[in-house]
Amino acid sequence: MKFVGLIGSNADQSYNRMLLQYIRKQFKIKFELELLEINDVPMFNQDDNWQDSFQLRLIYNKVTRADGVIIATPEHNHTITAALKSVLEWLSYDVHPFDSKPVMIVGASYYDQGTSRAQVHLRKILEAPGVNAYTLPGNEFLLGKAKEAFDENGDIINAGTVTFLEQCLDNFVKYVEVVSPLKKPMPIEPEDLDCNHPIPTSVTEVDPDDPDWVEKVAKLTNAVSGNTYVKLDHGILTVDQINMFLKSMPFELTYADDNNQFLYYNNAHQDPDTMFAKRVPEQSGNRLSTVHNSLPPQRMKNVEWVIGTLRNGNQEYVRTLIPNPNPNILNTHNYQAMYYDDGSYAGINEIVFNFKPWLDWYLKTTGQQLVGGKFSANVDANSSASTSNSGASPTADATSGASSH
Amino acid sequence: MKIIAIVGTNSTKSTNRQLLQYMKVHFETKADIELVEIKDIPVFNKPADKKVPDLVLEIADKIKEADGVIIGTPEYDHSIPAVLMNALAWLSYGIFPLLGKPVMITGASYGTLGSSRAQLQLRQILNAPEIKANVLADEFLLSHSLQAFDSDGNLVDLETIQKLDAIFDDFRLFVKITGKLSNAQELLHKEAENFDWETLS
Repeated sequence: MKFVGLIGSNADQSYNRMLLQYIRKQFKIKFELELLEINDVPMFNQDDNWQDSFQLRLIYNKVTRADGVIIATPEHNHTITAALKSVLEWLSYDVHPFDSKPVMIVGASYYDQGTSRAQVHLRKILEAPGVNAYTLPGNEFLLGKAKEAFDENGDIINAGTVTFLEQCLDNFVKYVEVVSPLKKPMPIEPEDLDCNHPIPTSVTEVDPDDPDWVEKVAKLTNAVSGNTYVKLDHGILTVDQINMFLKSMPFELTYADDNNQFLYYNNAHQDPDTMFAKRVPEQSGNRLSTVHNSLPPQRMKNVEWVIGTLRNGNQEYVRTLIPNPNPNILNTHNYQAMYYDDGSYAGINEIVFNFKPWLDWYLKTTGQQLVGGKFSANVDANSSASTSNSGASPTADATSGASSH
Repeated sequence: MKIIAIVGTNSTKSTNRQLLQYMKVHFETKADIELVEIKDIPVFNKPADKKVPDLVLEIADKIKEADGVIIGTPEYDHSIPAVLMNALAWLSYGIFPLLGKPVMITGASYGTLGSSRAQLQLRQILNAPEIKANVLADEFLLSHSLQAFDSDGNLVDLETIQKLDAIFDDFRLFVKITGKLSNAQELLHKEAENFDWETLS
């Protein structure tokens, strides 16, 4: 499970931040917790645009995709901080990422009240119509006398407190499982597969379907190659080294940006007919509509569904198994959303690989075996989609051509 | 009688501001009401150096000199707006202009409830140890506020006007009575000043 931890204090020093950091570390086996700061969020004003704030966009995107949110609130003047209230006002006015989102409240305070009143206020705020979160009932975790509560490693000292916190978190995990069917998926907007909405990185001077797109764009942009060093996050490699690195990946990787333009694949050295998802060098740069031009309209809809569901944050990946008559092949396609720094959709990282050798290796190493059941290697693509969404079936591969299957 | 009226919103269009503007004119023979805006106050971030922005100090001085304070609050998400919480956070950060100050709460809302829940929360906030204002018990809730004023900014409904008149008359009395409640005043002030979160045990 993926949770977001909202630090309800904008102060440099905060025991609520420490509390969330402790939860992230102590209970990392139970869930993944990403902490978000609110110190750069401007004061809510109806007349301003929420998207002008990077931090708000980040919070919006992360909360939208999270399975649940843990809010840690201090108490100021018997209520929550103005900074936290401001965030909640922004995210309940034009946009409503908390709608039907499971939320848990924790709080740390200097005094022995441990934010009791602030938590009661926060509950009321979270159930206001514009917010509409599902707040975990009961399980109030109040950390009083916070100054003495942590040791020098940031761990909570009192064992009873840790046990109670763990119980509350276990209850939240269960609650998220129970409440998540009530989630309202975001609507999926129509996708422009013809690349008519250039993004800042698009090179518009060359037609995407130009077979010499790579060479022409390389010239136009003075793209570096060979032994030129590139600074990455985090490391330094030459372009040759990056190529070696990507070519050696035991997957077929494809990059499509958020303008639905197919920019790159890592297996240009391979005979296209031996690939699990066939690609040819002329396809680099193509519109996704061109990549898929042989698909029937219904399958095109599926392509749009995959991209749309990654773009709007309903899912972070879509995974599907492509039927193959050869029992030694489990043709797995994984469409992983990529994100800009503010958490918004940046495109698809498509991973295509044969899962069978990995599975065999695992079974051999652990001495286990598959006992059968209703799933087999040749599972129908429609039922194999691991996604829980109903409606359109996410079976099409978003970036590979029809010829690949 | 000098009254400071805090506009509890930063929205350019606000029926809460409109209500306070109406009161300023309507009660001009009874009190000198001055509207104070809070929209330009920076976001409170509990600075370690305890430095309060000049704008806040100016507002604090006005409050100190005034006989009473009116706070007009909208309701956002069942509570008072962040911008008003923010102003109150600064106005209780090492300075105590609201301590013992007579306060009347008004609230306007587009819907039926007239900011009732925000007003309750505001009462709790005003009772916090570093604020400790004296809040008038009467509630003034203006519901359906978009329809409540005529084109000159006057309240239309006679019963509403009568209710506001009565509550404001009570508030003027309340200001006078509160002025006599001096016994605990000095003690509370000392308590607020000595209220140090760092040394709490």
